Amino acid sequence: MGVVLRYLIKKSKFLKLLCQNALERNKQEPSQDGPNTLTNLSQSLKTNLDLIKGVIGNNYDVVIREFTFDRQRQVNAALIYLSGMTDPTIINESILKPLMFESRLSINSAPKLDDVEMIRTTMLSVGEVNKSVNIDEILDSCLSGSTILLVNNCHEALMIMTADWKSRSVDEPKTESVVRGPREGFIESLLTNTTLLRRKIKNSDLTIESMKIGQRTKTSVSIAYIKGLANPLLIEEIKRRLNDIKTDSILESGYIEQFVEDAPFSIFSTVANTEKPDSAAAKILEGRVAILIDGTPFVLTVPMLLIESFQCSEDYYSRPYFVSFIRMIRYLAYAISIFAPATYVALTTFHQELIPTPLLFSMAAAQEGVPFPALVEAMGMGVVFEILREAGVRLPRPVGQAVSIVGALVIGQSAVTAGLIGAPMVIVVALTAVASFVVPAQTDSGGILRILFVILAGFSGGFGIMIGFIGLLIHLTSLRSFGTPYLSPLAPLSVSDLKDSFIRAPLWAMIARPRTIGWHDPKRQEFRLKPSPPLEEDTQSK
Amino acid sequence: MRLERGEISSSQLMFLISCFIQGGLFPLSFAYSISKHDTWLALIAAFIIGVFIVLIYIALASKFPGKNIIEINDLIYGPYFGKLVSLQYIYFFIISLSGYLWFIGDFVLTFIMPETPIIVIMTMFTFICAWAVRKGIEVIARISVIFVFIPGIIILLTFALLLKNMEFTNFLPVFEIPLEDFIQSTNIIMHISVCEVLVFLMVIPYMNKPKQAKRSVLLGIISGGLILLTGTIRNIAALGPLSEIVTSPSLLAVSLINIGKIISRLEVLVSMAQILLLFIITSVFYYAAVLSVAQITKMRSYLPVVIPIGIIGISLSLISYDSRMQFSYSTMYITPILSMHIYIVIPLISLIVAKLRKLPQRNGRN
Repeated sequence: MGVVLRYLIKKSKFLKLLCQNALERNKQEPSQDGPNTLTNLSQSLKTNLDLIKGVIGNNYDVVIREFTFDRQRQVNAALIYLSGMTDPTIINESILKPLMFESRLSINSAPKLDDVEMIRTTMLSVGEVNKSVNIDEILDSCLSGSTILLVNNCHEALMIMTADWKSRSVDEPKTESVVRGPREGFIESLLTNTTLLRRKIKNSDLTIESMKIGQRTKTSVSIAYIKGLANPLLIEEIKRRLNDIKTDSILESGYIEQFVEDAPFSIFSTVANTEKPDSAAAKILEGRVAILIDGTPFVLTVPMLLIESFQCSEDYYSRPYFVSFIRMIRYLAYAISIFAPATYVALTTFHQELIPTPLLFSMAAAQEGVPFPALVEAMGMGVVFEILREAGVRLPRPVGQAVSIVGALVIGQSAVTAGLIGAPMVIVVALTAVASFVVPAQTDSGGILRILFVILAGFSGGFGIMIGFIGLLIHLTSLRSFGTPYLSPLAPLSVSDLKDSFIRAPLWAMIARPRTIGWHDPKRQEFRLKPSPPLEEDTQSK
Repeated sequence: MRLERGEISSSQLMFLISCFIQGGLFPLSFAYSISKHDTWLALIAAFIIGVFIVLIYIALASKFPGKNIIEINDLIYGPYFGKLVSLQYIYFFIISLSGYLWFIGDFVLTFIMPETPIIVIMTMFTFICAWAVRKGIEVIARISVIFVFIPGIIILLTFALLLKNMEFTNFLPVFEIPLEDFIQSTNIIMHISVCEVLVFLMVIPYMNKPKQAKRSVLLGIISGGLILLTGTIRNIAALGPLSEIVTSPSLLAVSLINIGKIISRLEVLVSMAQILLLFIITSVFYYAAVLSVAQITKMRSYLPVVIPIGIIGISLSLISYDSRMQFSYSTMYITPILSMHIYIVIPLISLIVAKLRKLPQRNGRN
């Protein structure tokens, strides 16, 4: 499939040219527009205000408040901000009130208040205040929620951080629900998300660097890592790939993922995402790097290994035996979701001798009168299931029930009764469907692989499945995610990392971080942490 | 200029060779009809002699670290005569590739898909091997790490489950066959199993720690050989005189397992494991053939020759063999004798010439 896509992309080179031209035009457009880009502020307040009004003045949410202060000299000034993106209390209490009211109270207003540096240092009681002369910069910060203070006879403006807007409150994530463990999830606000991370890791080495991506959306993207744990080369590589993104919009983490991933034509994703601060923190603590994007609750973590899809944050909060068992079940479920229909098709079409005789009889009885070969049945049921699933996801809640009734009763029950589809096939498809939900991170790859394997099995039976399996392994072993082999710790084999793969060893036994990721400072904890009851001598001495 | 950019670790080489040796379990059926129930003795003898022959290969490889056999030949015999020797190696790689392609085609045809044309099976299999070869030795070595434990576990499991059916009197009388048959059988086993490690002269140069090559190769041969021995003993003990006449002793032996009507039909597992191992063997031969052709023609990359060599391999196997009988006759009576030339004579001469010419010379000529 990748080959076809690659071919199409090669073919559509003119499209690329087209895009380039458009991008260049976009870049040039504003500069041709007038004197409003890359120009500096002038001395006159009126000129400056006209300039800014010319760019954003006709928006209804832009507030331009002109006022005078400093009774002796009657300095004119103006505040520009977006209502809805700013906190009115800060503007009223900490900007307007000191400037207009308190400056009058002080009788000896010795300092010349038309100097913005003076205003910044003596008057404004707001945390983050920056100075700038560049109109572009000023407009950008205004659009991100800052309040701009322009003063007459002054070619500098103050950008006062007043950003505050309505956002969803922190609540339980929809995608990764747990029985035991923290219930909070990331939300759409970047600042809240970084706060959630910082609250988990109170370490001065936790570094959160920020950049803006997207020429039009100017989306804030932060990378979070622990200095000294994450591989410096990895951080460099991530920054390089992020800086290389020259697109006009970043609306969700999926945009970033598709621009930075290693294997764009693979059906396996090589960038992990999570909605839970605790699992993001755990991944950062293993030496990975998290990419947080403003406007989405999904945080990306790289590098990603295949086994991460089978891990869940609750694994580390529960006791190891049961977790190891559940992990095995997850691998089994994933195998079922890929291979079950294919195996059924291969067995019924080519290798009837492998089915135990009594089962063969009952299956033959159920298949009697079914008009289609197993391959067609499996493909048809597979497609029907995908349709039902997609309908269930997209439909509004109240209609969902209708879909499940139609799906279960009409398609399942009646198709068998009418003799269109054999009952065993329905069982196999149902089992596959349930199994495919066990590993949510790989549901999409599983869906494609299932169809491929069914086709292979329909044409060449068990041998086809084996060939497909070997091909799958070749693809997986050749994948890399930011330099880390995708199938590690299995291939290349790293025995100490197997403690957290098919099984989950007790936490006190996992002394080292995963070697392929946290090679920088592998030691996670002390060696002798296995809890044990106090020795008898100790209790006696007490 | 290096044709292969990947690197493999010493443990990966060990697993690769272990897979490679274990894959000999099914082709070993050719030896049963000659050495009968003494095959396990022939196997041990073949491995003991084989290890000494492999030591020649390793000595050759460690004399010229980082050089594959084609480059080594050029250094030892000079650019022109060296090419002549290299051509013989290439011929051997391609002949072995076509032999294994025919073997897998025949195996699948006989036991899994009786009505499929052999060319379809061979083409599918070659396609998947070509994919692996294009990805490089690194990928093949990593896959072998996943595969290496599967056949071993299956053989040990079936050994335990077959204990009920085993008759250890089947081994008696020990050493019944005439000495010449024993020698011939030993030669066959050397030919189809341990001496094929020769092909790793194309792989060893791409290790990240070349000094550990000897240890990895020997460990791989020994671990693979032990699994092979377990399998052979299982087959002879469970089947007895039957093992000499059936097409595939391993499959028949495992199909005897029937415990409570629940654990039965385990031969599926065995043939699955066998396909995995044959994939490793074929890929390594394919890789060696492709790499040596690219090396001798001084290409920048070996990718362009992958598909042509695959097509040559398929055509050659279709031309060479008509039927299973012909294939087994040639594997039993013809190729083991002919291939001694490649396995023993040329490497030994190369080593002696290298010693006599005091190669490798240190003063920067290499």
